[in-house]
Amino acid sequence: MNDTELSTAVRDSVAGIHSATPVGQIITRGRAVRARRRIPAAAGALTVAAGTALAVTALLPSGQPALRPSGHPAPGSDPAAVRLAAWTVVRQANGDIDVTINQLKDPSGLQATLRADGLPATVSFSGPALSSACQAYAASMDTLRAVAQFQATYLAIDPSALPSGTGVAIFDDPGAGLPSPSANTPTHGNPPSGSQPHRPGPLATGLNGPLAVGLVYASPQCTG
Amino acid sequence: MRWMGVRTQQLDFAEFYRSAADECLRTVLVSIGDQDTARELVDEAFARAWASWRTVSRHPAPEAWVVRTALNAGISRWRRRRREVPVPHPAMVTDLPAASGAGASAGQVDPRIMAALLRLPERQRQVVALRLILDLDTARTAEVLGIAPGTVMAHLGRAMAALRHELQPELQQENRS
Repeated sequence: MNDTELSTAVRDSVAGIHSATPVGQIITRGRAVRARRRIPAAAGALTVAAGTALAVTALLPSGQPALRPSGHPAPGSDPAAVRLAAWTVVRQANGDIDVTINQLKDPSGLQATLRADGLPATVSFSGPALSSACQAYAASMDTLRAVAQFQATYLAIDPSALPSGTGVAIFDDPGAGLPSPSANTPTHGNPPSGSQPHRPGPLATGLNGPLAVGLVYASPQCTG
Repeated sequence: MRWMGVRTQQLDFAEFYRSAADECLRTVLVSIGDQDTARELVDEAFARAWASWRTVSRHPAPEAWVVRTALNAGISRWRRRRREVPVPHPAMVTDLPAASGAGASAGQVDPRIMAALLRLPERQRQVVALRLILDLDTARTAEVLGIAPGTVMAHLGRAMAALRHELQPELQQENRS
């Protein structure tokens, strides 16, 4: 038996094996992989741009109802209705704080709500990720993941996992590279009254949008 | 324009997947010996390829990228689970039922040849898979496995000798009958 015959025999031995996974399923899975990868990528970008050691980003869908059965609605919204509000904060029985953000609006309201729930927090949806009053805290990715986990439709924060003397910074990450919708793309639902004008961006149109979370040193000026 | 670009990329990737998926699956199967695990790893590797398609599509051998990613994913999975990947013991492998005729039927491997492959050291098996199934040249195989080209040739030579020693009597008898 020469090498060619042997090679042919080896090739023929698995010739009956075929991939059965549809390409659409692979592509769907690939999108999830891409979204997952953006977590450390955004962390690195933040380190350079804002001097923050770590951040996580994820994609939050905007076409989801802002109200969930166990939650309380954003200020001014009707708890009986299922409609899009800018954001929702829900304090769970186990102490976790779940934040659903559908539109990048009213960051000061979100910040105040989080602080009222006992979470040292700073929120920014425009301008620099951190104000000059805030100092980034260099946490490990494990620590950061223990504090903040992006779920399918919301951000789950565990205040008990915060290192002593730290708080949470939530900010948008406009450099994430998703396609910007056209200005006349309709939004879903009714934004809260008195909110800022519609800000064209992925979160506001039913497409996926970026959001980032990092840790900061807690201080009255930064996290309340 | 952007959406046109995305659409073109999808078509491009789909064509690559259709043309390379079977060979990549067979290569990983021969490398690790377990069909279900091979399918999972190759699916995951293709998903990662799509996630990085702009880069992978420019790779000189994207199918090699997929196989290397699948093999690396297999190693990572093994490390996470902290236990051995169950590879059939040679005594069990030789008791596998013989295939009917030469080669393998649809969805099956030829158990005699797979048994002989599984008795090879892992690195030799990987070299055989990349060189014979995926048809990579020595240099590319060395790159995928992170070893020297000379080592690839040495592994292949030893593997072929071992396979010939194991399979020659059976295959010759089959050819005579």
